[in-house]
Amino acid sequence: MASVLYHCPCLSTSSTPPPPHLPSSKNSFHPLHRLFFCEECDAVRCNRCVSVEVSGYYCPNCLFEVPSASVRAEKNRWDSSEVGITFEKPTGLAAQLQKLEDSAPDALEFDRLKEHFEPILRASSLSPSSSSALPAAGHSRHHSNPITAAAAAALARDIPGVGKHTPHTRSGRPSGKDRSANKDEIPEYKSRVDISRASTYGSGGGDVDVDFMRRLESLSEVASLEQRWMYSWSTSLETRDLRPLRIPLHSKQSKRCPACTHILIKPEQKAQSVRYKIKLVAANYLPAITVALPHQVEMLGHISAEAAKRSAKAPQDDDRDRSGLQAGKTYPFHMALTNPLYDPIQVRLSVQRMHVAAASHGEGSAKEKTRRPPFAISIPTAPFSIAPFAEAWEYDDDEDMFGLDDEELEARLSGREKDTRAKSKTVGVLEKKANVTVVGGEVALGKEAHGEIKFNMLVAYTYRSDDPTPSDGHDVSPSKKAPETKTFAFYTVVNLGMIIPKNEPRLEVDEI
Amino acid sequence: MTSMESPLYYSRQEFIETDTGNKVSRRATIAGPQNIILGGKTIISSGAIIRGDLRRSGPGHAVVISLGRYCLIGEGCVLRPPYKTYRGAFNYYPMKIGDHVHVGAGSVIEAATIGNWVEIGKNCVIGKFTIIKDCARVADNTVVPPNTVIPAMSLFGGSPGKHLYSSSSSSCSFVSFSVGHFIEDLPETTQEVVEAETKQYYSRFQPLS
Repeated sequence: MASVLYHCPCLSTSSTPPPPHLPSSKNSFHPLHRLFFCEECDAVRCNRCVSVEVSGYYCPNCLFEVPSASVRAEKNRWDSSEVGITFEKPTGLAAQLQKLEDSAPDALEFDRLKEHFEPILRASSLSPSSSSALPAAGHSRHHSNPITAAAAAALARDIPGVGKHTPHTRSGRPSGKDRSANKDEIPEYKSRVDISRASTYGSGGGDVDVDFMRRLESLSEVASLEQRWMYSWSTSLETRDLRPLRIPLHSKQSKRCPACTHILIKPEQKAQSVRYKIKLVAANYLPAITVALPHQVEMLGHISAEAAKRSAKAPQDDDRDRSGLQAGKTYPFHMALTNPLYDPIQVRLSVQRMHVAAASHGEGSAKEKTRRPPFAISIPTAPFSIAPFAEAWEYDDDEDMFGLDDEELEARLSGREKDTRAKSKTVGVLEKKANVTVVGGEVALGKEAHGEIKFNMLVAYTYRSDDPTPSDGHDVSPSKKAPETKTFAFYTVVNLGMIIPKNEPRLEVDEI
Repeated sequence: MTSMESPLYYSRQEFIETDTGNKVSRRATIAGPQNIILGGKTIISSGAIIRGDLRRSGPGHAVVISLGRYCLIGEGCVLRPPYKTYRGAFNYYPMKIGDHVHVGAGSVIEAATIGNWVEIGKNCVIGKFTIIKDCARVADNTVVPPNTVIPAMSLFGGSPGKHLYSSSSSSCSFVSFSVGHFIEDLPETTQEVVEAETKQYYSRFQPLS
């Protein structure tokens, strides 16, 4: 099905997105409802570029909201069902099982490692060489922001080696650094368990395992790989040795703009609330665009009507591709743009020029054939308006016109008339209704065209800047007498679907 | 937008429309209708079975199954209240479903509570006393074991006897052959998206004239 995805530049300085046929295109385009919008930077942000913070933890099983302090102190929670472990009391299961865990070979080994390295860490964190090197390394970052700087400093403080080995330390002058590294030289660590004897603990393929397998009566006695996968240590093969796993807690997350660190998403404290204290999503700023091919819509309506007449179950999904696009033909398509703002906007669309060489690059054998652009897109280039979003239209019922005054009603009716008059033309504004404007475009497919019809489209919209006094001190506008209107532009990738090559017969089209 | 989305036609003879805009197929089996509440603008598709007759024992009126507004019960779905034997007495317990809940065709639901803006895929089994919180989604063909809690804004998927791949491309799930479990968090806009989808579905669902 046809789709429209929105570009997130992810702090990139290049204003043009990758061509739609490159695999990298997939990573920088997202559905509108997954994007955020930073008002301070006046920019789109996505999940790949925002910085994420945990704003609360909860247990996914019982939905208990675990205070952050106890998450740090008590590690995590347990699922203790259906195992042969009895507890003395029903609370604090983790503490009760801690005894068992503490005597496990991996825990003992970890303790030993800690014992070995802790004095070294303590000694080196006191030594002046590392502590003085750290702030310098932190400040030399390109776009250092307080969060990453603080994180880097904390990391370097806790693990002194990191501070010395950051890439910011120029490799050109290693002599001084090397000397300090020698000073903190780490003595050799001797493991508690000899690795060559590890097989005696089972699952190492030793005699113990062979013996166990010989006496095996049922397959279920062997713990599956998935069940053992979670352990860091090689464990027994036997199912009866499995112990309950801690269930990782889930978290609610706040999200910040990577550039200005303003909060974009801040959930309510309550774990199961779906409301947000702050929610700056792109859908509230950018016009929503949907695309459809009228011949497909018509056909789907036809199929649905046929099914209703026979009162049969309407066939779904698999029939959607039947009305595919054939190479060598020309098809109209409709784009509906919905204005989320309370002010009218002026929109201008333009198709990004295709770099065919780049688009066909890497396709190898097909390269010769795709030398020419496989399709040509025509869309209206003149600016058009979209009416403001109004609460009255939230009442979705089409026939519900009681809420509208005469003027609006007239506007709506005239909008419909325009629709009927414009039927003949394909490219241009087709319909205006409420805060939606439908424009028509056309795609002409080359005779040798194949693959997907995807093109990048630049959408520029002009809106009335509603706050002449910029919020608290952040005066970013260049002049006091700022213009009444502002323009924002963003890229989209429009996918009209797959092309059916000419030599291939259309799929069961006669059946319909 | 008729030019953007095709209507979903139904035969006028097949569906009964109530004053509040509920559309119930005559081919659906509605047992114990006096114990069922439909919130309005809710669609019950053909072949669906809603067991309002499985009520708590004892005298008086009891609501067995309540559905909110803009719900869709897909073709061939079964809604059956959960039951258990508590202190030696067998009993059914009510099922409450919120607003904007879509249930795909062929799913069997025995949940205790389903919140608002919830999407359940096709051919799912939602076990007894399952609690599904707001804005959660259950993928097609998922088997959710009894007494599961599905947190708000989370996608659940998985079925025993089927290979599983996490939809987040980064991690191909190791938990193959597993029952329904948490896969990923849904976007912050899920509420608006699902609300718009369910309203649009209702407006597209038109009698063939």
